[in-house]
Amino acid sequence: MTLNLCVLTPNRIIWDSEVKEIILSTNSGQIGVLPNHAPIATAVDIGLLRIRLNNDQWLTVALMGGFARIGNNEITILGNDAEISTDIDPQEAQQALEIAEANLSRAKGKRQAIEANLALRRARTRVEAVNVISY
Amino acid sequence: MSCSNLTTMWASSNLPNLDHLSSRSFLSPSRLLSAAPAPASSARAPPSTVVHCGLRELRDRIDSVKNTQKITEAMKLVAAAKVRRAQEAVVSGRPFSETLVEVLYNINEQLQMEDVDVPLTRVRPVRKIALVVVTGDRGLCGGFNNAIIKKAEQRIAELKLLGISFTVISVGKKGNTYFQRRPYIPVDRFLEAGNLPTTKEAQAIADDVFSLFISEEVDKVELLYTKFVSLVKSDPVIHTLLPLSPKGEICDINGVCVDAAEDELFRLTTKEGKLTVEREAVRTPTPSFSPILQFEQDPVQILDALLPLYLNSQILRALQESLASELAARMTAMSNATDNAVELKKTLSMVYNRQRQAKITGEILEIVAGADALT
Repeated sequence: MTLNLCVLTPNRIIWDSEVKEIILSTNSGQIGVLPNHAPIATAVDIGLLRIRLNNDQWLTVALMGGFARIGNNEITILGNDAEISTDIDPQEAQQALEIAEANLSRAKGKRQAIEANLALRRARTRVEAVNVISY
Repeated sequence: MSCSNLTTMWASSNLPNLDHLSSRSFLSPSRLLSAAPAPASSARAPPSTVVHCGLRELRDRIDSVKNTQKITEAMKLVAAAKVRRAQEAVVSGRPFSETLVEVLYNINEQLQMEDVDVPLTRVRPVRKIALVVVTGDRGLCGGFNNAIIKKAEQRIAELKLLGISFTVISVGKKGNTYFQRRPYIPVDRFLEAGNLPTTKEAQAIADDVFSLFISEEVDKVELLYTKFVSLVKSDPVIHTLLPLSPKGEICDINGVCVDAAEDELFRLTTKEGKLTVEREAVRTPTPSFSPILQFEQDPVQILDALLPLYLNSQILRALQESLASELAARMTAMSNATDNAVELKKTLSMVYNRQRQAKITGEILEIVAGADALT
């Protein structure tokens, strides 16, 4: 019994095949989903999505928030944006993180702070996706 | 003798002013400024008078028109190829929007009893509006950029009359240069969309708009973009982006709302070898949701996560439609330009040939007259 995972973003389908297990970061913490999980609907936070493939290898995807619906061994994740860790350039991700941190310290006012915070969280997630230790 | 035969022969042909030319041929055959428009008296009269000055200049002109024609034809083909890619982008974005609409519907069904208050749907009295204006990056696309900018100016004038202050977020180089030259229009930010709009660009605009709305700097956000109607027609439209309606409807400024589930998507296909556009009303089948689906978090939090997704996909759709309209406009404009270039080349070639023949006739006459004078 395998899970059918479908990761969708507004402009393309990131992932659409069978997996063994996934670990998802939601607003209320991380949840692990195994086959025959109870049907739930949850909001997804900006964080890492870890996928265990059929050959027991782990794959990391940087997910920029969204929504997940789990039911009947079918998982549908709708994300604002998603990048598979192998597609991320580590140098560029690190630079983006530094720029985001600099922007946050320069942010003035509520509005700039909101934007800078979001950008920082996204950049941090991307760097984490590249640096994750796979086991 | 032979000379007069020649002149009569030429006089009886189409051009009466050839005598005019041949009488002047003694002076400077290559510097003739034809007083009368030569092709005007021929059977096919072009609408404007062609002023030309000499064989060499004519030849140069014909060469340059030929080059221009090659360029415009190439641009048309490139635009046609890009339109296909834009179409593919829209199609690949469909699974997302379909699933999203389905989920929104189901959540709304389950939340009908409750009163949800999500920040993005809060309706406030309007004091300031943000206008997101989507233009293109390059020119040579007919009236595309002008149309959307005119619409923006109209809306700005309306808002001024109503006494509502506004700010503009300009997307696209053409809009950027336009607003930069007009510092009296307050612009919040200049963004560029690039060749193919991706989620990153849509996210940048969404972030900006989101923070403006949440921090209560603006009370309403409107999106101005060009809706793709057909290959020869596109419509600049204004859609209300924020505040969102919890059911996921797309609202016009006049409050006319279209149900998201009945949203139309355009599709470019070929019919009998010609590119046509088919509008498909995507009616997503909303299956009965399994009632055992539990919400991991508060339904309000779930909606809070869903609505930004909806915002992103709306902005991306607008960018994609704008791009498709721009490409279609460029295709039409370049196609017209190519046709004009072909016609101009034909006209110029005819004039060139007539002048060449007149020059040859003149030289023959000179020679014959000279030979005559000797005998």
